[in-house]
Amino acid sequence: MPTNSSCLTQHHWDIFCTVVDNYGDIGVTWRLAKQLVAEYNIPINLWVDDLLSFSHILPKLDINKAQQSFFGVNIFQWNNPLDIEFKSGEVVIEAFACELPSQVKGQIEQLHHHSDTHAPTWLNLEYLSAEDWVDGCHGLPSSQPNGVTKWFYFPGFSAKTGGLICERDLFNQRDEWQADPKHKLALFKQLGLQGINAQDTVISVFSYETEALTALCHLWQASPTPVHALIPKGRSLNSIQSLLPCAIEDLIPGQQFIIGSLTLHILPMTDQNGFDRLLWSCDFNIVRGEDSFLRAQWAAKPFIWHIYPQEDDYHLVKLQAFIQIYCDNLAPEIATTWSEVNLAFNQGNTNAVVMHWQHLLSVNLPLMQHAIKWPINALNDADLASRLVQFVNNS
Amino acid sequence: MKTAHEIRPGNVIMLDGSPWVVQKTETTRSGRNAAIVKLKLKNVLLDSGTEQTFKGEDKLDDIILERLDCTYSYFADPMYVFMDSEYNQYDVEADNLGDAATYIIDGMEDMCQVTFYEGKAISVELPVHIVREVIYTEPSARGDTSGKVMKPATITGGGTVTVADFVKVGDKIEIDTRTGEFKKRV
Repeated sequence: MPTNSSCLTQHHWDIFCTVVDNYGDIGVTWRLAKQLVAEYNIPINLWVDDLLSFSHILPKLDINKAQQSFFGVNIFQWNNPLDIEFKSGEVVIEAFACELPSQVKGQIEQLHHHSDTHAPTWLNLEYLSAEDWVDGCHGLPSSQPNGVTKWFYFPGFSAKTGGLICERDLFNQRDEWQADPKHKLALFKQLGLQGINAQDTVISVFSYETEALTALCHLWQASPTPVHALIPKGRSLNSIQSLLPCAIEDLIPGQQFIIGSLTLHILPMTDQNGFDRLLWSCDFNIVRGEDSFLRAQWAAKPFIWHIYPQEDDYHLVKLQAFIQIYCDNLAPEIATTWSEVNLAFNQGNTNAVVMHWQHLLSVNLPLMQHAIKWPINALNDADLASRLVQFVNNS
Repeated sequence: MKTAHEIRPGNVIMLDGSPWVVQKTETTRSGRNAAIVKLKLKNVLLDSGTEQTFKGEDKLDDIILERLDCTYSYFADPMYVFMDSEYNQYDVEADNLGDAATYIIDGMEDMCQVTFYEGKAISVELPVHIVREVIYTEPSARGDTSGKVMKPATITGGGTVTVADFVKVGDKIEIDTRTGEFKKRV
């Protein structure tokens, strides 16, 4: 059994992540891990059960190595049961309610019952939601059968929640990037995307399958001005297979297809910083899940959130909760248009999404101004990592 | 053991070696349909309260205490009085009923279970499903019959339940007392 020598400090934190939806869970935990190292100098061990998916957003990751380090974060292959020695430090985080390995739970319990040792703070980092109930559940204890208290930590938009992941210097970097159009053109070139001019409309698409996307592509096809849709290989393409001349598996990043005014570009995968810059560079972003949803907000550009579908359309409740807070300071006409586009996209309502998209164009300027102001409001004075460190210190 | 999802007001659970009566449960959905259950609890021995949150599938140690089938008799502030089949009366603190008090009405015939800890009546469990009359709700706005459009309704006793848009004043509705959810019109 290899010994995990780099995590034998008493002050390190362990974050456990099971990858369910390719990039969402690992996207959030990876950003958090990097930020805690960079801004708080906390040694972080990130335990991940699927290094292959992780490698798509961290291309230098060796999927065959059980232990490696990037940006100061120790990354471990999490096999169940663990085949690497585990030594708990100050904090253990189970991300998105994943089940901790029995060795880890056993060790937490053992330390808890020995008064001469310091037991780690055990946290469940939950999903992001804008719903009201999050305020009342954030930070509550959860007494486990082994006698140890676990704490529920909920990210969120209000001051009573655990906040939102946002690196300290992110907005400055974004503003600097967006101040000069040369940056975006250089990025597109670097990504192998050809034929995009500075004044063209560029839309990034990272969604689940939906007929609404097909309908929008047909609309963009007939646009009086050029539209470029940047789409990575993945689930979005399943919706527009009929527009492509070949099978999805045969597509190559950098390939482009011109359909009337619309140019479909097949995007190469990129790391998180690259993805951020991509969102900063587009005029409109269609994003999904949790991590890219937040990054689209930080990009200060209008966006559609394609939310993870839940039973009984419960995801629409979550979408409505976000719409309500996002539109709080928006003029009714703009708020209605933006929310209808989002609802129609999530409901796969082709006619409605086309109609409301056309309205969206007429309110683009105020919507853009709102998107610029929103990140400061949403951040609510403190980001998630800051609040998390404070929470641990107080618990 | 019960999952947190199965716990309902009136249950008594063991946490940290102490018995706690469940006063209120709130179930919400996290990502990917995972349930989050928030419990409002009162310590049976110390008379102190707390709130805790659990994953829906977390196992909780519900203690099997002596229970008796009873019917509601009357309210003598701050005690609710229940009566068994032999006309014995048991007082339960209003505070211990938590959300269940919402459904207690004069003349109700629902068979309840009074729970005892060391001989003292400490909580009441209502039947999982109860039927109550809607005494006020706004008229249906859209003529929706799918049951997906919801609106608030006041039921006999003054409680509020979110019901399907087609429900009208005077309708009798079935409510799940574990979650407070409207189930159907009966």
